[in-house]
Amino acid sequence: MTSQPYSAAVGLVERYAAALVSGVPDRPEDDGFFGPASVTWRLAADLSGPVAGLRSVLIQALHPLAMAGVDQHSDWRRDPVGRLAATSAYVATITYGDRASASKAAGRVRAIHEHVRGTDSVTGRPYAAGDPALLLWVHAALVDSALEAARLFGTPLAMADADTYLAEMAVSAELLGVPREMIPDRVSALREYLDGVRPELRCTPAAAESMGYMLDPEGMGEEIAELWQDLRDAALVALPGWARDLYGYQDPPPLTPERRTEIRQTLGVFDAVFTAEPGVLEARQQLTLRMRAARG
Amino acid sequence: MRLAVVAAGGASIAALAVLGRRRRRGGRSLRVERGLTALRLAARGGARYASNAPRLFASAGEHRQQLRNDLALRTAEDVAATLGTMKGVLMKLGQMASYVDDGLSPAARRTLSRLQDSVPPMSAELAAQVVTEELGSPPERAFATWDPEPIAAASIGQVHRAITHDGRAVAVKVQYPGIAETIAADLGNVALLRRMLKITAPSQDVDALLAELRERITEELDYRREARNQQLFADYYEGHPTISVPRIVPELSTRRLVTSELADGARFAELVDGSGWSQAERDLAAETIYRFVFRSLYEAHAFNGDPHPGNYLFRSGGRVTFLDFGLVKHFTAEEMQPLAAMVKHLCVDNDPEGFRRAMVQAGFLIPDAPVSTPLVVKHMAVFYDTVRERGPRTMTGEYASAVTRTFFDFRSPLAAYARIPRSYVILQRINLGLFALLGELHATADWRGIAEEIWPFFQGPPCTPMGAAEAAWRSRRPVGTNPVPFGQ
Repeated sequence: MTSQPYSAAVGLVERYAAALVSGVPDRPEDDGFFGPASVTWRLAADLSGPVAGLRSVLIQALHPLAMAGVDQHSDWRRDPVGRLAATSAYVATITYGDRASASKAAGRVRAIHEHVRGTDSVTGRPYAAGDPALLLWVHAALVDSALEAARLFGTPLAMADADTYLAEMAVSAELLGVPREMIPDRVSALREYLDGVRPELRCTPAAAESMGYMLDPEGMGEEIAELWQDLRDAALVALPGWARDLYGYQDPPPLTPERRTEIRQTLGVFDAVFTAEPGVLEARQQLTLRMRAARG
Repeated sequence: MRLAVVAAGGASIAALAVLGRRRRRGGRSLRVERGLTALRLAARGGARYASNAPRLFASAGEHRQQLRNDLALRTAEDVAATLGTMKGVLMKLGQMASYVDDGLSPAARRTLSRLQDSVPPMSAELAAQVVTEELGSPPERAFATWDPEPIAAASIGQVHRAITHDGRAVAVKVQYPGIAETIAADLGNVALLRRMLKITAPSQDVDALLAELRERITEELDYRREARNQQLFADYYEGHPTISVPRIVPELSTRRLVTSELADGARFAELVDGSGWSQAERDLAAETIYRFVFRSLYEAHAFNGDPHPGNYLFRSGGRVTFLDFGLVKHFTAEEMQPLAAMVKHLCVDNDPEGFRRAMVQAGFLIPDAPVSTPLVVKHMAVFYDTVRERGPRTMTGEYASAVTRTFFDFRSPLAAYARIPRSYVILQRINLGLFALLGELHATADWRGIAEEIWPFFQGPPCTPMGAAEAAWRSRRPVGTNPVPFGQ
């Protein structure tokens, strides 16, 4: 593995804001694969989003082949923020774009995945980014994290809505080449799937290094580091016990109502800062209007 | 520098990192340009309350009006999502920080101002629901006439026009439901607030500032306090030749509702730009504002901490209506005494050592600071520039900037020994708000002469026609009401 340092990320907020703004179309041809009445749109706007994102990456990185693909092929080390912003932009386009834009974006990602192949130096196993098994893992970590983060820190979904969410989101994995029948479309199926993959998971050095950095980034001011601490705690609380065990993280203290409130307040601050980025407020207002119209 | 990386989908989590980073990069060089910007921001701060601002919501055109209606908050849950989890607190903080500290980074400034813009009005139904809960009957019955369209936004509520059953035209400020509880809970997270303040206002004594801001914000949540304050000012200035304060309708005012007489007049922007207003009119309006601020302070020991341009309505002859008393600070005699002593020693007695002693007594300067008294005077003189000598002086934007610049000049040899005690935090608004406002009016007056009239240790004769009219008003008042501190 390399020891190339993560490079400084310039224009961090702008890139994330641009990611959302780019995904929300001005004049969509249709409501896309989800639409304003979907559970997906509701969950995508949840306050717990940053926790979901962090938890999702923490889980995804535990699959050695997924981690190797990211580590060896993408700009991850040179420009980690850019790499994640690109993923954000993709997710926003799939979520909010019309069908043509979403399909086009998925096509681009599939084309990139074609070239991401190699051998994981830890397990010695070959991998290919287009492998449906890996794509499904990334998908499952994402949807599971969205549900879990909302349950703990946002507006929890009723069980029926959670099932609906998984059924809705199946199309996003399908767009990247996962056969429909492989994709868990109920909470119980998702649990089974996650349990089944667990023996393959491990914390490789690349995962330990990348995630250690994400949880405790250097170079932040003291006060910001303290805010980050809340987010890190939230993600660790939200992680399954087995994932914490693999990383060797200590079990966090139980989530008291007071601590939950504090974390929600920190999330509110993050949300406020993000809202101030150019175009974000307008994009969100546009989505709110469409969601309201859809609900009547 | 290595910066945070962020999880996919967690777009906002890194935002703060950049906020802090920019602050450091901005550093001192930017301070110079920030002076008046603070006031402009406050002015722009979006939709601030003014009881007759029928254009506020509609100002950006009909489409925007429609948009706001479509986005209106319909339920208490909508309010919580929009203003809960710290966002309402940040908004209030932004409002106050815009005058408390010009050390805000541009990013912090943008965040706080956009946050204010991001709050849509309540739907007519939700506003009516609050009125019903507060008055026990729906607005159509509680009032003879009720206008369901809000005419202006308040920071944690909105203003509706109505006519009472006894025929008075009134402005009714309606608080967002649930907002007081949310903000009170969020104010309890002192650790997070302290971090936010350290990031946004790094140069301040964070704990004193935080304590003061928490107290002021908490007070603002209970409209009954605002109603009381407004009525105190209204009573105090009853019959004043140029100052007027809309009277409260107490039976229609509650914790979440303030009903006051509807006032009318030109907005600040019209006074500044409008062709209908001469410089002489602007000078008179400025004189009235100046008299209001310092009479209230020296005689009533009260300071309305929100002299935001949206809170005035102007009529000819220097008549000004003062609105919004949500942020009133009352001073004790002990707190006022050293402030008056500083002015007296510096501007009247020409006693630099006495000035310095008073500064120490007030807590502005630590005792035995290793700086010479002439240096202290040199640094502080700018604040008293307009009242050092008799004669007409013109307030300018440059002067306001100089005041602000000096205030925040952390390179000054005084900086290490200077403090702003908690009770005086709000007074910075005089420096950062009032002077900027008067500067924008480009107002000329014999400020020293007016100050001499008002200074309790001077009691000078009237020096302007308005001063004469004010003296006549004062002589008509019942014996013993001059001066009448409002008390705590």
